[in-house]
Formats: sequence, structure tokens, C-alpha cells
Amino acid sequence: MARIALFGAGRIGRIHAANAVATPGIELAAVIDPVPEAARALADATGAEVADTEAVIADPDIAGVIVASATDTHLDLCLAAHAAGKAIFCEKPLDLDLARARAAAEQLAEARLFLGFNRRFDPNFKALKAAMDEGRIGALETLNITSHDPAPPPIAYVRVSGGLFRDMTIHDFDTARWLLGAPVTEVFAAGAGLIEPEITTAGDIDTAKILLRTAAGQLCLISNSRRSGYGYDQRIEAFGSAGMLRAGNVAESETAVWGEAGPAGAPFQTFFLDRYAAAYRDEMAHFADVLSGAAPAIGVADGLAALALAEAAAESVRTNKVVNL
Amino acid sequence: MQDDRFKIAVIGAGRMGTVHARNAAAHPALELACVAETPDGSAATLADALQRPVAPFSAALADPAIAGVVIASATATHLDFALAALAAGKAVFCEKPLDLDLARLRAHAGVFADAPLVVGFNRRFDPHFRALKARLDAGEIGTLETLSLISHDPAAPPPGFIPTSGGLFRDFVIHDFDMARWLMGEEPVEVFAWASCLVDPAIAAAGDVDTARIVLKTTSGRLCTISSSRRSGYGYDQRAEVYGSAGMARVDNPRSTTLEGWSEAGSAAARIAGGFAERYAAAYAAEMDHFAAVLAGEAAPAVGHAANERALALAEAAGRSAQSGAPVMVESV
Repeated sequence: MARIALFGAGRIGRIHAANAVATPGIELAAVIDPVPEAARALADATGAEVADTEAVIADPDIAGVIVASATDTHLDLCLAAHAAGKAIFCEKPLDLDLARARAAAEQLAEARLFLGFNRRFDPNFKALKAAMDEGRIGALETLNITSHDPAPPPIAYVRVSGGLFRDMTIHDFDTARWLLGAPVTEVFAAGAGLIEPEITTAGDIDTAKILLRTAAGQLCLISNSRRSGYGYDQRIEAFGSAGMLRAGNVAESETAVWGEAGPAGAPFQTFFLDRYAAAYRDEMAHFADVLSGAAPAIGVADGLAALALAEAAAESVRTNKVVNL
Repeated sequence: MQDDRFKIAVIGAGRMGTVHARNAAAHPALELACVAETPDGSAATLADALQRPVAPFSAALADPAIAGVVIASATATHLDFALAALAAGKAVFCEKPLDLDLARLRAHAGVFADAPLVVGFNRRFDPHFRALKARLDAGEIGTLETLSLISHDPAAPPPGFIPTSGGLFRDFVIHDFDMARWLMGEEPVEVFAWASCLVDPAIAAAGDVDTARIVLKTTSGRLCTISSSRRSGYGYDQRAEVYGSAGMARVDNPRSTTLEGWSEAGSAAARIAGGFAERYAAAYAAEMDHFAAVLAGEAAPAVGHAANERALALAEAAGRSAQSGAPVMVESV
């Protein structure tokens, strides 16, 4: 049984805590959060102890840590945990600053660090990847990724988010890298503020279409919006030489109502924690494997590559030019 | 009983000519008077099949009883035939494109300005896309923000077609450029395109591309993306998704039948349409309806020279962008 500690008792921390408790091979021993009440409530709910950072890092009985704290603490916690020889499950992103993340990469080169790009663990997208790897659509030619949030986040969050590309599209960049199978060499992005004037005022965009191109000429199109108006729209279509693979949205129920005006289906799952509940569970199962010695499926290099694509997209919007990587 | 149907002539007896001639022959307000001769002799086959006479095109134009002409001949002949027919006082239905050369098209803008000319951008007449447009116009998804068009052909055309086609953007994506203009409600001002040859090396050898992703921007920042491929491998993929401030409206591919098979391996639905003739059969019939309404003076042409000129300008801009790797302002074309 691997004893682990959880940094961060917020929304995503609570999800990981519940999954850790339910995952065989893992014992959630400690919870750390700057808000004492939050740490206490989560520790009580999971049978863990409230602890502080230094004690947990110094404790040789703690085999691994989950980093689900504020984004700007991720990198330092990862460095400290790695220096203490612990396995790490770090929520995305590793850091919002590419230069800072690159500077730390060398120190983390040998780290047993699993970076939580949850979409790779979604059963729908996993099935798509598996079908692609089985050659069901021949050679992959193009890829369309749709990722529209149900509603814009609070403006206070937007200001510290790192911007649309680093905060939201980063998932799609990782998904694209995962599926394309060839390095992305060029990025072009068109962005606009069409939804919420406050987002524009804060210097960010809320709508974007991004193109990626690989050296082999494969093309990937990402569609982003901070507000769909109809739920959490998360889809992938992969076009190959022998057909197409399509992973659609998950509806809240399979119930449809039929009337004279036509049928009306249930809405999509609207909350990301619902849509990706299975993915978060599967991430924890993978972390249990990492604690047992398996190589992390997603690591520091993936975090850096996705962040580099985000920076390139931001530069492309700024300059209205193709950015070479 | 007096026959008050409009007499029309069809020129061009290839695939599209056959579709239009059959629809015209079946239309209650139209009488297919003749199939005009073409150098390849295909007119006779079509005329025989429909039990209509063959006539020289000049004779059809000179016949005052003929009110309209359907042009579905080789693309390079469209413009001259359309000009001749208009000069002879006929209403014209011309297959797209009116011409592949933007300068030539623009040179005749004056003649075509108020002409009784319908250009066959068939997708505007498709019942599915028409329903989509009606929903948008009714404000059902609020203010339009972005648009995604997917248009993948089932299989690449024969390599011999490529050199005369005008290239992927002018031959194929032009439909999507027209759709984008029609649905967005704002003119695109900027075009970015990436294109690759991934399907058939013979297409690259002919100097063309077969796979593209295109981004259009309007003045207010609305964005449209177009996915284009010469070969899907699974049928004729024709879809549109429109995202607005209050939701999304989507047209998917109709299935050939409603049959679904379920087994331990999962479910399998019937295939989508295998090609344009099947997918757009209703649209081609609706085009002939519209042409009949134009002949009757009941409707102004819904798509004419101006729309063709705008779509071709976007195609030109996309071609330049794909070559240069930079966005192209439409006004520069």
C-alpha cells in the first residue's frame, strides 16, 4: 500500500482525494491546503491527516504526492517532491510560464512525474486512439477537435488563467500531440472576443480556431469557445486514408422527448467533473501503477510541448502570422 | 388545352446535364424543348433517353418560344454560353462556376448585374441547409459567432480532371465559400488556408492539393472554418455546425436508410450518401423549381454572378494564402 499526500483541497483536489480513497494500492495519508478549514474538511471526509508541506516532503513513508494546489505552486511542489524521491501526480499545467518550466525540466528529467492531462484517459477518446492505432482508418490525415466550455469562468479566474490558450486549449494541444503521432511544426491561430466584453477588457480572447500542421502535412483544427450555450462540447473527429473516427458528446441521459415539432434529446453533461469523471478515476489507477514502478504515460516533456504550442498560438494571434516551432 | 409551361433547352449532357435535364423534364412548369448539341455527341444519348429532340445551340437561342437555357456543359464554356443566352433574351440557369477566372468574371459584371441568371450553388437549395438557415434567421441560436463546415468528397477525381478543375479551392471549396457567405451574414474579410497533398500523389504531380483547412474572418471577428478533403473513405461528408450566443445548430449527414444493426461488437448505422447526385438530389430538384419561379417572374435569382464572384474571390485568396503561408485580405484579391 503506497501512502500518498494531496496538495490542494479545492474542487479538483476533492475529486482526486475521493478517487485515491477508492483506488486499491493507494492510501491517502495527508492533505495540505493553505485554507485550514478546507484541509480539515477533506481530511475528515477521507480519513487522512491534515499536514504541512515541509513535514510531508520530509516524511520517508510518503511515497507519492498529488499536486492539485493553485497553478503557481505546481512547479515548486514538483521539484521538492522529486528531490525527496517521491512519485508525483501533477494536475495540468506544470506551469504557465514556458521559460520557467523549461528551466526546471532538467531537474525533473528523471522524475516519476505523471502530468494530469485527463482527456487522454477519457474512455471515448481512449477508444478513438485505440481504433486509430489498430489501423481502422488507415493513415491519419487530419484531425478536428471541438472544445467549447458551457459558460465563461468568473472574470477573476480569467485574469490569472494565463489566457485561453494556456488555460483551456492546452488540453487540446495535448490531445492533438497524442493523436497526430508526428511533431507539430507550425501553428496558426485566429482569436476573437465575441462572448464577454470583460474578457476582452482583461486582455484575453474567448473564441478561437487554431490550425496545427506537422512535417508530414497532417492538419489539425481546434475549435474553442468559452461559452457554448448548450453544455460542455467535447468532440474529436479523426480523418484517415480509410475512413473517419468520431467521438461524440455524452448526454445527461438517453431520454428523448418526441413531439409534433420533432424529437428533443437531453442536454450534454455540462460540468467537466461529470464529463470526465471516468477519466479522473482512470488517472488515479494509472498513478497507482506509477507508484508501483510503471513509467508515467504523460510527463514533463508533454507539459512543455503543450505549453510551447499555447505560446505559439498566442503569438500567432498577436502577429497574425504562422509561427514555426 | 393550352400548354403554358416554359420551354427550355439544356446544353451539356454529362453528369450534371443529365441531372438537370431529367429534373426539367419532370417539372410541371417546364417543358424540356431540346438538348443542345455538344461536340462529344453525348446530347443524342440524353435526348433519346428523354425522348426529346437534339438541336444546335444556336437554333435553340434563335427560337423565340424557348424562354430559358440550362447550361451544364464544360466549365470553360459556361460564361460564353451564358452571355449568348442572355443576349438572346433567355433566362439562364448555369451550373457552378460561371467561370474559373476572376478577372474574366469581373469584366462582365455589368452585363450580369440584373440578369435573369441563377448559378447552381446547389447547397443553398438543400432542404437540410435551408432549414439551418431558416433557424439562424429566426434567431434560434442568438447571434452567430462561429461556423464549421465539413466537405469531404467520397473519392478523389480521376487525375485527368485535376488540370482543368481550377484547383481544390476554385473547384471544390468554392461551394463552402458560398455557404460561408450565405450562413455567416457578414462578408469574410480575411482568409487563411493550409493545404496538403495526402490523398493521391498524382494530384500533387498535377500541381494541386487534396486536403485543406481554411479559416475565414469577418469584420466583427466572426470565424468560419472549412475542412476539405478529396477523399473521405466513407461517403460524401457534408456537414455544417453554427455556433451562436444561445446555442448551436447542426446539419449532419443523412443516412441512406434508417437501418441500424446491433451486435456484440456494437452498433452499425447505414452508410451516408455516396456522392453528390444522391446527397443533393432534392437540392437539384429545388434548383429547377427556383428556375421555374424566375422564369415566371415570381422570384428574383437567389444566387447569381455577384455571389459567384465573391466565392471565387475567396477561393483565390485561399489559394494565395496556401502558397504564401500568410493570411490574405480579401480586398487585395
